[in-house]
Amino acid sequence: MANLNIQNKQERTYQAIVVGSGASGGWAAKEFGDLGVKTLLLERGRNVEHIKDYPTTNMLPYEFKHRGKLPQKVLDENPIVAKCYAFGEDSEHFFVKDADQPYVREKPFDWIRGYQVGGKSLLWARQVQRWSDYDFEGPARDGFAVDWPIRYKDIAPWYSHVEKFAGVSGNLDGLDVLPDGEFLPGYDLNIVEKHFAQKMKEVYGDRHMISARCAHIHEPRPEFTAQGRASCQNRNLCQRGCPFGGYFSSNSSTIPWALKSGNVTLRPDSVVHSVIYDEEKGKATGVRVIDAHTKEMEEFYADVIFINAAAINSNAILMNSTSARFPNGLGNDSGVLGKYFAFHNYRAGVSGAYEGYMEYTTSGGRPTSGYIPRFRNVKKQETDFLRGYAGGFSAYRGGGYVADARVGMELKNSMLNPTPPDGPWRVGSHMMGETIPKESNYIALDTEKLDPYGLPTLKFNVEYDDNDEKMIIDYQEQISEMFEKAGFTDISVRDDHRVPGLDIHEMGGVRMGRDPKTSMLNANHQLHAVPNVYVTDGACMTSTATQNPTLTYMAFAARAAHHAVKESKKG
Amino acid sequence: MNRRIALKHLALISGGLALIPSCDFSSEDILAAYDNLKVTASQKQLLGEISDAIIPAGELKGALDLEVPDFILVMVNDCLSVENQALFTSGLAAFSDFAKNQEGKKFDQLSTKEKENLIQAGIDLQPAENPEGEKDSAVSYFLNTTKRLTMQGYMASEYIQTEIIPFSLIPGPYNGSALISETQKSRING
Repeated sequence: MANLNIQNKQERTYQAIVVGSGASGGWAAKEFGDLGVKTLLLERGRNVEHIKDYPTTNMLPYEFKHRGKLPQKVLDENPIVAKCYAFGEDSEHFFVKDADQPYVREKPFDWIRGYQVGGKSLLWARQVQRWSDYDFEGPARDGFAVDWPIRYKDIAPWYSHVEKFAGVSGNLDGLDVLPDGEFLPGYDLNIVEKHFAQKMKEVYGDRHMISARCAHIHEPRPEFTAQGRASCQNRNLCQRGCPFGGYFSSNSSTIPWALKSGNVTLRPDSVVHSVIYDEEKGKATGVRVIDAHTKEMEEFYADVIFINAAAINSNAILMNSTSARFPNGLGNDSGVLGKYFAFHNYRAGVSGAYEGYMEYTTSGGRPTSGYIPRFRNVKKQETDFLRGYAGGFSAYRGGGYVADARVGMELKNSMLNPTPPDGPWRVGSHMMGETIPKESNYIALDTEKLDPYGLPTLKFNVEYDDNDEKMIIDYQEQISEMFEKAGFTDISVRDDHRVPGLDIHEMGGVRMGRDPKTSMLNANHQLHAVPNVYVTDGACMTSTATQNPTLTYMAFAARAAHHAVKESKKG
Repeated sequence: MNRRIALKHLALISGGLALIPSCDFSSEDILAAYDNLKVTASQKQLLGEISDAIIPAGELKGALDLEVPDFILVMVNDCLSVENQALFTSGLAAFSDFAKNQEGKKFDQLSTKEKENLIQAGIDLQPAENPEGEKDSAVSYFLNTTKRLTMQGYMASEYIQTEIIPFSLIPGPYNGSALISETQKSRING
């Protein structure tokens, strides 16, 4: 029996374990596979194989029973996830339903989750803007959170590494606030967007509007063909999974690549309970896994553990990894685990009209739109709030049939022969604001209420503060002014009062820092106190900047995987 | 056991069609396919006639040819709130009286032009804010919903999207400065 146990233990022993197969975990697995590291890639959800498991990807509009609309029953049963813009009849199978994993909203928080192989990388908005040193130096300059232990130069080569493989389209804009990268040709702005960009340059000099960099293949390259991926077809049906692999997802890119290396084993339906800490060895030795179907617990072992379970669940796993040495969660000597939790402020928007270029419209499709990089408080403090915001921007021309045509043949003919657009162009922007991580914004375990796997549920105490409210007003004022300067009319501002979480950019709780007394992770993403455990997803974020964060997590994961391999070679 | 569950059980027993007396609809069949609604076969037929007046057959097929009434009832059954379902079905039930009051005839005895006028009048109703206006509100809601869903069901049908205006999942590359004068398509006669 003893021998059998040893054999069994050997079968469950790897060199590395990666927890989570979303954008960051997929990258860790891919790098380990390329570097010859025997790796177990764990995913709590079901398997989703590229193309094969995209059931709606090629469905035509009339093939959907409700033409894309979700039944009222689904909406009533899922008040939280139903708020997500990407949750529809064509994509609902990729979202966690509210009842699947309840949580405690001590303060309102909309937690949007994708539990499957590939995670939310199937569903993301695919916007990939680099950070700059204006972002990494933010906390030190403005005196909040703690100083990032890294700078742009540390991560720049890894941005390049990730961009080249994932495929990022964009223009070389030459802006110091938003560094250029390894870009495929950028997507075109339309004629009104170009007008706005030109006006901003003329009027302000330091305010820009560019074509947003996106993780779409805009030009075929051998490195994409080698992954089995083709160019983006402008379908704008990304949330269904793309049969061309036109946008980056773990499913289309890193995971099949990792599996092809022969070094990586993918194990879906594996809910990680906790990390095993060996007091004698003074390091982590593996993870405890609950089988999603049988609910039985099993252990897997490795020299290196990567936690990439998405920000909130990475926090939860560390919190649930208690031992005599770490009674308050793995590596939590500082007591900051779960705290300084932050997100992006997406509450505000500005819209307007433009009566120029009336003879033009747009045709075809594109997978991205315009982007206004942060211009507030960049070089110096200008306002009575800290940090700033980026903005989305797009212009579009309406058209279509006359909906109020008289019923009968008049209505029929007006529908079959849409009138050319006669109204003005519409323009719109939405806010992407940096929030300030604070100790009072935290997530914690509720050990009284257990989830369907017997794990503690999470409770959320995250809210906006005065800084966010001031920033919303400033965004509305500044963008309105910019719209006026561009000659836009009918300008209106909005604040949709959404609660934190719906931005789906949750960050922090396991923050990086220089001092083990005030942070969880060092400059290499290792837990200060347990250096063979790495966290490279949203949980590691010391501050939030304004950029869509996924590209940065992917670069962090690749960088950390190489660091782990270098460390292991040192023995 | 509540009424809805009882109806469902009966529907199962009787093979998809519940044959039960109902105070609302004398002893008519209630269609079990739309289990959140109490819609009879003759009401579905009336809905079909209304949708076919909204989008009639001509050179191209009309709403009835494309089974739009079924689509309307599926959408009302699955995608409307309970309150709006009630408003829709009471508007449907009140429509016959509305026709008689307005035109002095049953709906199926009206000419095409009269049908269109009646439906358009119902769509444009400005119900008074009194008990009398409640019925008008229901009729107006019913007709506006029916018009919207008829349009959607017609345009997003396999017939239109394959034979008349072929739909492509691949829209082609983006042109951000397309001249409207060059994007015009040849006219389709309905």
